[in-house]
Amino acid sequence: MTSNGATNTPAGAGGAAPVSGRLRALLRLLAIQGTWNYERMQGVGMGYAAEPLLADLKTADPARHAEAVARSVEFFNANPNLAGLALGATARAEYDAVPGAQIARLRTALCSPLGAMGDQLFWAGLVPALVGVALVALSLGTAWSVAIGGLLLVYNTVRLWVGVWALRTGAQAGMGVGAAIGASWMPRAIALVGPVAGFAVGIAAPIVANWYLRGFGARAALGVAIVAAAGLLAMRYLGPAFTTVRFALGAIGLTVILRWLIR
Amino acid sequence: MIEFSAVTIVALLAWGVAVALDLVSVPQALLSRPVVAGSVAGWIAGDVDAGVRVGVLLELFALDVLPIGAVRYPDYGPATVAGVALAAGRPWQDGLGPAAVLGLLVAVLGGWSLQLVRRWNAEAVQRHAAALAAGESGAIRRLQYFGLGRDALRGAVLTAVGLALAVGARALVRLDDAMAMALTLVLVGCGVTAVVGGALRSAGRGLRISWLLAGFAVGGIVAALV
Repeated sequence: MTSNGATNTPAGAGGAAPVSGRLRALLRLLAIQGTWNYERMQGVGMGYAAEPLLADLKTADPARHAEAVARSVEFFNANPNLAGLALGATARAEYDAVPGAQIARLRTALCSPLGAMGDQLFWAGLVPALVGVALVALSLGTAWSVAIGGLLLVYNTVRLWVGVWALRTGAQAGMGVGAAIGASWMPRAIALVGPVAGFAVGIAAPIVANWYLRGFGARAALGVAIVAAAGLLAMRYLGPAFTTVRFALGAIGLTVILRWLIR
Repeated sequence: MIEFSAVTIVALLAWGVAVALDLVSVPQALLSRPVVAGSVAGWIAGDVDAGVRVGVLLELFALDVLPIGAVRYPDYGPATVAGVALAAGRPWQDGLGPAAVLGLLVAVLGGWSLQLVRRWNAEAVQRHAAALAAGESGAIRRLQYFGLGRDALRGAVLTAVGLALAVGARALVRLDDAMAMALTLVLVGCGVTAVVGGALRSAGRGLRISWLLAGFAVGGIVAALV
């Protein structure tokens, strides 16, 4: 039921959604972090992406539309590649005339799981896995256009497919999106991609180091190994505040001073 | 040494803006990864090898970063473009170290600039709070476009600063070969620290650590054979 007492058709969000509206929402999701800020985080970006999905509500129930738009820009933060699940689900819930407070609670409740799952799937999984493969390929002499083109093609094909899937799944499941996520391919993919990423980065590290050190000789290799070991120990014992960038800047400073003293 | 034309500088600047936008705002398509940003910047600058070398080294540092939520992290995209501009046209053994030094400094500056843009965005959102509460779509669109504009401006300024430092360093700074090579080796060591440290941290104690160690073993064997 709508705020006017009429029933809305879930045209903008559900299975009968206009393709142009869903496509526009999907494209706008690519810029979900365009107004990222410490107050609403991705909220404004979500509202921007929700606009095409909520368009049909404007004619069916203008009062509900204004409320829905206002809800769509409230605080939200998740992995941007999975935000479509929340976007589709909340848009569907708006057309299903679910009470606003319930929609707001769904949106808040989705932040943590979509953030954690997306970060594991993409930032700690797919990205290091594909980058590791690209680093190995470049170090072994593959043409840069092939290595970089392959990296971009595979990653963007996967993330666009995930974006389409997420928006469609969210729009179909509505308030039941949590169960739909749990029953989907995602938990299995997360369990699989982590070890693959570890393996790919593990292979890349020695091959890349060897690529740089080839021709420098054994003394240089020993020096690099000492720097690397010192860095790992420093980070192990000095805590997370001592980042690799800080270690590198310290090592640069030390190198410049030592070189100046030796002169 | 390669002399950059005005067209090359403008193209590097445009690429720097694109990779800066890609990190957070749009489209997050991995253009901002140093290995991508560096390779393309090298192609623009006329020295793909320098671009790949600088990009791969800074990628080792970037692999240590998880770009999650409100965490402050370096912006390696424009930083890599600046580093490549410094290294292009030199033997990579001499150019890599100074380029990585410049890259790390610009990356740290980039992380700070991201914080600034996020605060500006928050101020803009506060100014439009009433319109947002009323569900005005026009206000959302304006906020979004200006937010993207702020990030593009950030990328342009950051890349311009990086390129200015690179061009200035090419003209004014003369490092002897031993110093340049020492910087290269030290930074390769630091890069190995970053990638291994980050991988160990991400691996935790589960199945992933076993696969990581297996990867180290396989990679070590391949490195010894090639």
